[in-house]
Amino acid sequence: MSNIAGKAYAMNVITPIRWYTTWTNKLFFKAALLIPETLKGLLTLSLIHYARWVIIPRDGFPRLDPSQPKEELHYAYMLFFSNFNGSWDQYVDSFTFAIPSGLDLFWKWNIRYPKSVPLTPFHDYIRHNQIDTAHYYNAYPMAASNDVKSAQKVKKALIDFNAKSSDKSADDFLKDYHMLLNNLQHDFGDMKPTPIVSLSSYEVKKRYEQTKA
Amino acid sequence: MTTNLDLTDIQGNIIKAYGAYNFQKARYLFLRINNGDKGRQFVDAITAKVTTAIPWGKSENGDVAVEKPRVTTNIAFTYSGLEALELPTASLREFPDDFMMGMSKRKDILGDDGPSDPENWDKIWKEKVHIWISINAPDMDALIERYNWVAQQVEASDGGVTLLTGHRGGDDEENLPYQDASVLYDESGNPTPKEHFGYTDGIGDPVFEGQTNVAARVLGRGKLMRDGSWAPLATGEFLLGHVDEAMEYPKTAPSPMLLSRNGTYMVYRKLHENVAAFNRFLDEQSKSFSGSKEMLAAKFAGRWRDNGAPIVNAPDDASKDEWDKAFEAADFAGKKRMLTDFTYNNDLHGAKCPYSAHLRRINPRGSLEYGVKEAYETPGALVNRRRILRRGLPYGAVKDAARDDGNHGIIFMALNADIQRQFEFVQQQWINYANDFKEGNDKEILLGNHDTKHPSKAVLQVEPGSGKPPHFINNIPRLVETRGGDYFFIPSITALKLIAAGMVDPT
Ligand code: HEM
Repeated sequence: MSNIAGKAYAMNVITPIRWYTTWTNKLFFKAALLIPETLKGLLTLSLIHYARWVIIPRDGFPRLDPSQPKEELHYAYMLFFSNFNGSWDQYVDSFTFAIPSGLDLFWKWNIRYPKSVPLTPFHDYIRHNQIDTAHYYNAYPMAASNDVKSAQKVKKALIDFNAKSSDKSADDFLKDYHMLLNNLQHDFGDMKPTPIVSLSSYEVKKRYEQTKA
Repeated sequence: MTTNLDLTDIQGNIIKAYGAYNFQKARYLFLRINNGDKGRQFVDAITAKVTTAIPWGKSENGDVAVEKPRVTTNIAFTYSGLEALELPTASLREFPDDFMMGMSKRKDILGDDGPSDPENWDKIWKEKVHIWISINAPDMDALIERYNWVAQQVEASDGGVTLLTGHRGGDDEENLPYQDASVLYDESGNPTPKEHFGYTDGIGDPVFEGQTNVAARVLGRGKLMRDGSWAPLATGEFLLGHVDEAMEYPKTAPSPMLLSRNGTYMVYRKLHENVAAFNRFLDEQSKSFSGSKEMLAAKFAGRWRDNGAPIVNAPDDASKDEWDKAFEAADFAGKKRMLTDFTYNNDLHGAKCPYSAHLRRINPRGSLEYGVKEAYETPGALVNRRRILRRGLPYGAVKDAARDDGNHGIIFMALNADIQRQFEFVQQQWINYANDFKEGNDKEILLGNHDTKHPSKAVLQVEPGSGKPPHFINNIPRLVETRGGDYFFIPSITALKLIAAGMVDPT
């Protein structure tokens, strides 16, 4: 079991919400998508791959088979799902300090949501409602989302540059090459293994690698 | 909100960087406790001489509050030290993991590998270190006098405590019973604010609520507010038992409150500086650099070596001349302001101060918003909980600038309420890693744990759209190596008395 794969951490949080207030949340979600301005904090937090909030209606939980009896649920639920780089603490802290009012807006109607500041009740709330990840696959364990974005940018720029360069004079080539480097100057970060997210997960990983060897 | 601190209860080294009070010399001692009773008696004896944070000299109404002492003494404990002093388990188990484990076991987080591996530390770190005692003084006479006094207390403890040996010294000593540190002097013997690479150090230290004279000192040193002003950080970032930036009491404080309140955690690190490697590297790299060698050195640190001018406001040789003239003309307050009051707001792309510069990595100020207007609740949202107080002085002398194997560097001490959240985070995420700076795994130039097997590089950014290529720094050698250290708890005076009396009771 691990919530961690390479540089990424997967977080699932599921919190009860009164079924008759879920429409307000859906409204907020819609508004947030329509007015991208509201999400700029989230987007600037570059450790986040993505974050998704979904309302699961009281009678909307999936069943594996029609023969599986339907659950009688008292509450609807809000599922929060996110992948990010870094540790749980770093992530939750970043959320709390960067976008506290956004968090409060999204979770406001959830049962026993304590508000994002002060930190400890919020930490406890997330921890309590977090569902650990049983299996987590990461195709690029060494890449943070920033690395992926940079790699895409570098690849495209290089292909374009190559296509345009074959007939250039040496002087023009150098000038354009410098321009290329200038345009890509924030995308040259090295990609190496992750810094240790926690000493316990580090030990688990070492033991796991021994069993494979 | 803390408006008035009980300065008689707080140890002086937390509030004062003694070096700024002309205490040019320091000696650090490490001791082992062999017996609980006698150990507590020893702590009691030392406590009588512990220097508090009370202001020295004239108070605001002109009274002389407390005379500046001839010498200071402070004391702190490792986790095993507190165990040896027989604190109740109910208190001990409430200390945070990082402190319980101690520094050497955190090496994989701190990047202490290769030459920085605890295997290669000064021998003393193989011992059971329980107590740290620091002595600061304006001159060696005062220092040695106090040192002899401490040695007498050790003697009087009748085997209760042992002064540990095993510090490496400058004359091939391997087994010194103390670590000395000192400001560096210029050729005429005047004290300077320099460290061994030639940088001017000790300029910026965080300012927090409850300190004296906050308004005059907060510029560039507190937390950056949305309107561009600076406010003091919450006291609880640096002192336990006070509200922190998360609007709560630090969770790292063990009970009872009397044990933790007005205390804090200290990271002690002996950091060796590879002066020869630094000089060679700077010479080599400056050959292909378009500015002067000094400008390149300034790019590494974020400040110019000669007077500490922030490179973000003096980005090249010509503007440095201008800055120097304005600095010359400024009064004392104006000079302070020029040194500390800056942001990276006019340098979003790092063309002036590179993202990999020591200063920018270690305190990015508002720059992690990347110019997105009001992206976060406050510009320092990702920074205000990562600040540390810096104490300490250079140690050793560079006898042969062509060699790296001398004994010279910085005794670095970081004080914070939460080692993991503040010091360790900065060391791991900002010095040895750079995702927050969108530079992948690129390490900070001066402090990164660079290794030759996987050579590091750094990108010195230029103005975007200028058509100029950024400057690449390649094959960065390991410039700074860890030679020892541990995590300590600096109790308040009240807590010291409780510990010494064996009366800590969390019930
Ligand atoms: C041998 C090792 C080191 C050297 C040579 C060094 C050098 C410097 C210099 C020259 C400055 C600029 C002067 C000033 O602003 O006060 C500085 C600032 C600073 N350093 Fe270091 N340093 C070292 C280790 C560290 C370490 C290990 C940390 C923390 C993990 C650290 C944290 C800081 C901080 C927080 C500042 C102030 C930044 C600001 O507020 O803008 N330093 N250092």
